[in-house]
Amino acid sequence: MSFKDRIGKEILFFDGAMGTVLQKNGMGAGELPEIWNFSHENLIYETHKSYIDAGADIISTNTFGANSLKLDGTGYSVAEVVTKAVEIAKRASRESGREVFTALDTGPTGKLLEPYGELSFEEAYSLYKEQVIAGEKAGADLVLIETMGDLYEIKAAVLAAKENSHLPVAVSMIFNEKGQLLTGADIKTAVFTVEALGADAIGLNCGLGPVQMKDYAREMLKYASLPVFVNPNAGLPEVVNGVTCYNVGASEFAESMRGIALLGASAVGGCCGTTPEHIKMTVDKCRDIKISEPVKKNYTAVTSYSETVIIGEKPVIIGERINPTGKKRLKEALKAGDLDYIAGEAVKQTDRGSDILDVNIGLPEIDEVSMLTSAVRKVQSVVNVPLQIDSSDPEALEKALRIYNGKPLINSVNGKEESMSAVFPLAKKYGGVTVCLTLDENGIPDSSEGRIKIAEKIIKRAEEYGIDRKDLIVDTLALTVSTGSENANITLDALDYIRNKLGVNTVLGVSNISFGLPSRESVNAAFFTMALQRGLSAGIVNPLSESMMGAYYSFNALTGLDRNCEDYIKNVTSAPVKETVSEEISLKHAVIKGMGAAAEKCADRLLNDGRDPIDVINSEIIPALDEVGLGFENGTVFLPQLLMSADAAKSAFEVIKRKLPSDGGKQSKGRVIMATVKGDIHDIGKNIVKVLLENYGFDVLDLGKDVAPEKVLEAVRENGIKLVGLSALMTTTVVHMKETIELLHRECPDVKITVGGAVLTQDYADSIGADFYSRDAMGTVRYAEKFFEGNA
Amino acid sequence: MKLRDSEIYRYAGFKGNTPDRETVAKTEELKKEATSAVTPLFISREADFVCPDGNTVVIDGVKFRSQKLSKLLSRADKVLLFAATLGVESDRILRKYSVSDSSKYVLAQAVLTEMIENCCDSVLGELLKKYQKSGYSFLPRYSPGYGDLPLEYQREFFSLMDITKRIGVTLNGDCLMTPSKSVTAFIGITREALDCPVPCELCDKTDCQFRRN
Repeated sequence: MSFKDRIGKEILFFDGAMGTVLQKNGMGAGELPEIWNFSHENLIYETHKSYIDAGADIISTNTFGANSLKLDGTGYSVAEVVTKAVEIAKRASRESGREVFTALDTGPTGKLLEPYGELSFEEAYSLYKEQVIAGEKAGADLVLIETMGDLYEIKAAVLAAKENSHLPVAVSMIFNEKGQLLTGADIKTAVFTVEALGADAIGLNCGLGPVQMKDYAREMLKYASLPVFVNPNAGLPEVVNGVTCYNVGASEFAESMRGIALLGASAVGGCCGTTPEHIKMTVDKCRDIKISEPVKKNYTAVTSYSETVIIGEKPVIIGERINPTGKKRLKEALKAGDLDYIAGEAVKQTDRGSDILDVNIGLPEIDEVSMLTSAVRKVQSVVNVPLQIDSSDPEALEKALRIYNGKPLINSVNGKEESMSAVFPLAKKYGGVTVCLTLDENGIPDSSEGRIKIAEKIIKRAEEYGIDRKDLIVDTLALTVSTGSENANITLDALDYIRNKLGVNTVLGVSNISFGLPSRESVNAAFFTMALQRGLSAGIVNPLSESMMGAYYSFNALTGLDRNCEDYIKNVTSAPVKETVSEEISLKHAVIKGMGAAAEKCADRLLNDGRDPIDVINSEIIPALDEVGLGFENGTVFLPQLLMSADAAKSAFEVIKRKLPSDGGKQSKGRVIMATVKGDIHDIGKNIVKVLLENYGFDVLDLGKDVAPEKVLEAVRENGIKLVGLSALMTTTVVHMKETIELLHRECPDVKITVGGAVLTQDYADSIGADFYSRDAMGTVRYAEKFFEGNA
Repeated sequence: MKLRDSEIYRYAGFKGNTPDRETVAKTEELKKEATSAVTPLFISREADFVCPDGNTVVIDGVKFRSQKLSKLLSRADKVLLFAATLGVESDRILRKYSVSDSSKYVLAQAVLTEMIENCCDSVLGELLKKYQKSGYSFLPRYSPGYGDLPLEYQREFFSLMDITKRIGVTLNGDCLMTPSKSVTAFIGITREALDCPVPCELCDKTDCQFRRN
C-alpha cells in the first residue's frame, strides 16, 4: 500500500533525528551532513536501521540540505547525493525485513525569497525540482518538505514536487514560540495555504519540544482537512559547554506524543535530539491508538504570506481601486509601468480597512501577462492582505497565480464552458477561492432563477474538477437599476438563495448598481446594506468612499458583528484628519508646512480661479521647495520635514497635472538614472534623492537596488541618459560602485556620475572616479540643476 | 518595549534639535505600528575562544582575523555570540512607506533602527543579569563590519549558530543580512570590573553621523 493509502487511516510513525546523531558522532560546525552519506555511509545506514527497528514506518533520507546552493563546491552533484542517500535508506529498509516508506527529505534553501530576500521564486523552484527528480528516480516513496519557515518557499517546493514527480507530498513547518513561521504566518494561514497547493499531509516539526507543540497540534487539527503529523524536538535546545543539548528523555517524550496522537494526529515522530529510543517508546505508547480519519473543514479562506481572511463569517471588504476602468491616473501609471503608484493605491486601501485587494490591470495597450505578475509582486511587497487576482486572460491569470504568495481569490470564472475549462484547472493546481459570475453563453439571465441555475451548474462543474464549494464564491451580478427597476431585486433574490439555500458564499461588485444615475454614492450605500442583509459575504467596493465604509461598519454594528461598536467608532475616529484650509493659507505655505491635503486644495482653488498651471508651479511650489531646501542646507529644516514638503508638493503637482493639456505642459528639466549598486540592498538614500529630484522637475528612471553595472549601462544607452546617480551604503559594495563608474566612463564618456552614501567621502568619491559627490540629498538636486543648465 | 525618542530623532537626522509637532505625531503612529506588527527574534550561545597570535580569534576552529577584536576579547574569559532581527515584517513596513509617505519612510527607518538596538540592549541586559550573579560582566558589542573585522566574516559567524534556521536571517552574496534590520555581535564575557564602556568611544570613525558626543 502506498503512503497516501495509509496516512490518515492508521497511526503511522516517523523516524527521529539524523543531524544531531551525526553531531554526536563528531560532525563539526559548518560541515555538511549530506556529505556523510559518502564518508560515513555505515553510520547513516545504521541510523536508518535503528529507527526502522524501533518501529518507524517512514524514514527520511539524509538529504535535508542537498540542494545545488549548499552543495556548491563540495564536488558532489545533487543527483549524486540524493541517489546515494535514497539507496542507503532503501537498503536499510530492505535488510531490516520490514518495508517502510522512504521519504526524500528536503529542507529550506537557506536563502530568503524575493521580495524581502534575493532568491527568485523560479530559482527556488529549480533547486527543489532537481532534488525531486533525482529522488523519484532513485526510488523514494514520498517527498517530505520539512522544517519550512516561509510559505513562499513551500509553494516553490510543492509545485516542484507535483510538477516533476508522481510522489505524494508531505509538508511540515517550524513555528516559533509565538506560533508564527519566520515570515509571519500563523498556523491557520499555513494550513489554508499548504492545503490549497494540494499537499497530501501537513505537519509540525522542530523548533519546540512535545509539550510546547501540543497546543500547536491542536490548532493545526482545528483547521486542517488533511492528515496531520507531528515531529517535535526532544525539548527546547540548551547550550551546555558549547554543545547543543535536548533534555526530554525517551519515556517523557513518548508520554507527550501519546497525548498529541490522541488529539487526532495521523502520524508522530521526532526531530532534533530524538533517538531510536525516543521513537521506540513512542511507538510502544501509541501503537494501539485507533485514529479517526481527518474531517473535512468548511472554511472559505484566502491568505497572503502572513494573514488569513475567512469569507462567510463577518462580511469582507474587497478594495476595487486597482482597476483601470474609468481611472485616468491609473491608466497613465500602467502605461508608464509605474508600479509605485499601484503600490500606493494598495496602501491607501488597506489603511482604510480593505480586507482583500482586487488587482486588475487589463488595458489594451499593455502586456497584461507580464504586468499582472509584476503588479501582484509589487503589491504583495507593501501590504499583507490577500489579493484577488482579476483577469480574463487565462495566461495572465496562470502566471500571476503561480507567483502569488498565499491562497488568492481568483476573479473570475463564469458559466461558459470555455471559461470553466480554462479557469478551474488553474484553480485546482495553484489553489484559491474562485469568483463565479452567473452568466453563460446566453448572457446574464434576467431572472433570479436563471442566475441560480447557472450558479448550480458552475458548482457542479467545479466539483468535477475536485474543487469543493467552500472554495467558490458566487457573484450574482449587479446591473444598473437605471435601466431596469427589478435589477436590484433579481440580484438580491439570487444572492439570498445561493448563500442561504446552497450554502455558498457570495460577492458583488456593488457600485455597478448605480451606473447612469446622479449622486451614485447614496444608491451604492443603500444597495450595499440591502445586499449585506440578504447574505452578501464580500463586497467589491471603494474603501475610500466614506458612505460605503459607513454603511459597512453600521451594518456590522447593527447586526451584532461588531462588539461594543469598536470598529464603527475606530472608523470614524481614524478617518484621515481633514486639514482645515483657511482662505488665507497659500499654496506656498502649505508646501512649506508639509500639509498634503491643504496643498491639494490650494492648488485646486488657484486653478479654479483661472491661474495658469505653469504659473502656479513657478510662483508657489518651486519657491516653497527652495525655501525648505535652503533650510535643510542651513540646518534649520530636517530630513523628515524636507520630505513632508516634498510629498505635499507632489500632491499639488497631481492636481495641476490633471489641468494641464495632455502633451504634458510641465517641462522636464532632464532625465536622471538612479540606482543602488550591485550587492547593496540599502536603498533609503537613493529613494530620498529620487523624491527630491522629481519634485524639482526631473524625470527619474529608478533602477532599484542591487543593480549590476551592465544593467546601468544598458539603461543609459536605451534611454539616452546623461546623468546617473549611484548610491552605496556599505564599504563592501563601494567596490561595485567603482566598477559601475569605470564601465560607464569607458562605454559612455559623456555621461556624468554623481554618488552618495553613508560610507562615502569626497576623497573616496574622487578615488573611484565619480564626477560629483553629494553629502546629502539636496546636494544632488543642486548638481542636477547645474548639470542640465550646462554649468556642471 | 520602550523606544527612546531621543535616539529615534538622532537617527532621523535631527542632530539634537526638537522635532516639529507633525513629525512627533507621525513618529508616535509609527512606534505603535512597529511594536504591534514586528516580532523581534534573537539567538545566542556562549563559546570558548582562543587568540593564538594577537591578530586572530578562533571559535570552534573558525578563525576571525582582527586585531581589534583580539584586543577587545583579551579582557574576556568567554565570548557570547548573538544575533537578532526584526524579521521581514519590518522590511514590509519600510517598503510600504517608500511608496506612500516619504517622511514616514525616513522616520520608520529611525524607529526600526531604535527598535532593533533596543531589542539587543534589552535581551543582552537580561542575559547580563544572569551572568552578573556569577560575577561576570559584558564587554561592548563587536560585529563583522566593525573596525578591522571585514563584513565577509559574517559567513564564518553564521557557521557558528543556526541563525538562518532559528531566526530567519540570511546573507546575500555581499554578506549583507536580510531582513535588513538584523544584528550580529560578539560580546566578551569578563570578570574584570568595567567602568561602563561606550561603544562609540572604541570606534575610529570619528566623522560618523551617528556618533554620540
